[in-house]
Amino acid sequence: MTVKEMIELFESIDDTMRMDILLDYSRRLPPLPANYQVQMLEGIARVPECMTPVFLWIEKDHSGMLDLHVYVAPEAPTVAGFMGLLREALQGHPVSEAAELPTDLVHQLKLDNLLRMNRTVGLSAMVARIRRQARELM
Amino acid sequence: MTKQYAHPELLVSTEWVDMHRSDTSAIRIVESNEDLLLYDTGHIPEAIKIDWVNDLNNPVIRDYISPREFADLCGRHGIHQDTTVVFYGDKDNWWAAYALWVFKLHGHENCLLMNGGRKKWVAEKREMSTVRPQYPPVTYDLPTYRAEPGPIPPVLPGRHLRAYREEVLIHANKDKPLIDVRSPDEFTGQRTHMPEYPQEGVLRGGHIPGAVNIPWGKAVNPDGTFKSREELEQIYMNEAGLEPHDDVIVYCRIGERSSHTWFVLKYLLGFDKVRNYDGSWTEWGNAVGMPIEKGPGRVKSTAGAS
Repeated sequence: MTVKEMIELFESIDDTMRMDILLDYSRRLPPLPANYQVQMLEGIARVPECMTPVFLWIEKDHSGMLDLHVYVAPEAPTVAGFMGLLREALQGHPVSEAAELPTDLVHQLKLDNLLRMNRTVGLSAMVARIRRQARELM
Repeated sequence: MTKQYAHPELLVSTEWVDMHRSDTSAIRIVESNEDLLLYDTGHIPEAIKIDWVNDLNNPVIRDYISPREFADLCGRHGIHQDTTVVFYGDKDNWWAAYALWVFKLHGHENCLLMNGGRKKWVAEKREMSTVRPQYPPVTYDLPTYRAEPGPIPPVLPGRHLRAYREEVLIHANKDKPLIDVRSPDEFTGQRTHMPEYPQEGVLRGGHIPGAVNIPWGKAVNPDGTFKSREELEQIYMNEAGLEPHDDVIVYCRIGERSSHTWFVLKYLLGFDKVRNYDGSWTEWGNAVGMPIEKGPGRVKSTAGAS
């Protein structure tokens, strides 16, 4: 599923379905590889805007494609679901796709109404973070 | 011997909840979390979800749901006026305490908190379910409230538990006790100074002049339960200098963490008059002309705490 397809899907469904999809993707985030866990313990790569502890690494794999690693604290399935969706849409894709993520992605996925401002600040910050780091990789 | 809490009857153990949870005609268990989906990953089998944003907040103006909406919410979950509502949740019950405070604001009498919250229930490997229980709807009588003219919100039955901005200003001017329960960085004003991190859209950092900083989490043990009465007295009375007859206002960022401290002061330590300023820093730090203090603030200590 590309970012565009993700937006189209979220536009066509209701809040209950959006929640179900987020919940589903929250279970799909792969565990963090050991070397990243060490960095995490040192506080590297934390997303400070998010109230929940979230760690995010945006790198290139050997073929120059996007390689994302994410850790989300276990009590935050909403954040994990959002990151799971983003990872699904970006992993192994060209870096430019991450750099060109819509800045208002949370709004385009119609999550702002469901989650309201208190809960979307962190998600939007992660979109901004991915865009910024991807641009640095290009 | 440990001294009992001032109102021990408001706090129930995970064991008590486990024993009484099937009594769904008299008891309704409510899970309230920061995360919208956490309940759906598994919850106490009989528990319903009440979300602080989607269920308790007014979607348009910054306020809580109206008495009519509150009655509808309760009715739809089979909650009567005399149903005992037991709250629990994530983050050491901070959102559960917030939901409990909103229920009290609407005048619901029988509200209990499960000590240790979701964390303790999970740690003890007690039964959980992903099935949402359904209870037959009931009619919850509209709480008695005083209507105000025009668009002014009504005066809720629990009005005495809430402080509005103007009242906080007068309170601060009279040098009465104010407890800021945010993290030290938020209190000193460091946090909004970080570039590119618009935390919650607050324009100014710092705290209400005269406030004492006691982060809410100080009241909690590592397992999520409240500290003992002696330990709480040490923190709030000996170190912060509060007295049980003081008129105290607590605040944080939006009034959620301070609900937790409100519960501690009112029910565990038995303070007479404790109000939660739910406008909190997201109102104060954005409003025009409000006095703000920066830095570590003062320590109102009578016991030599530094």
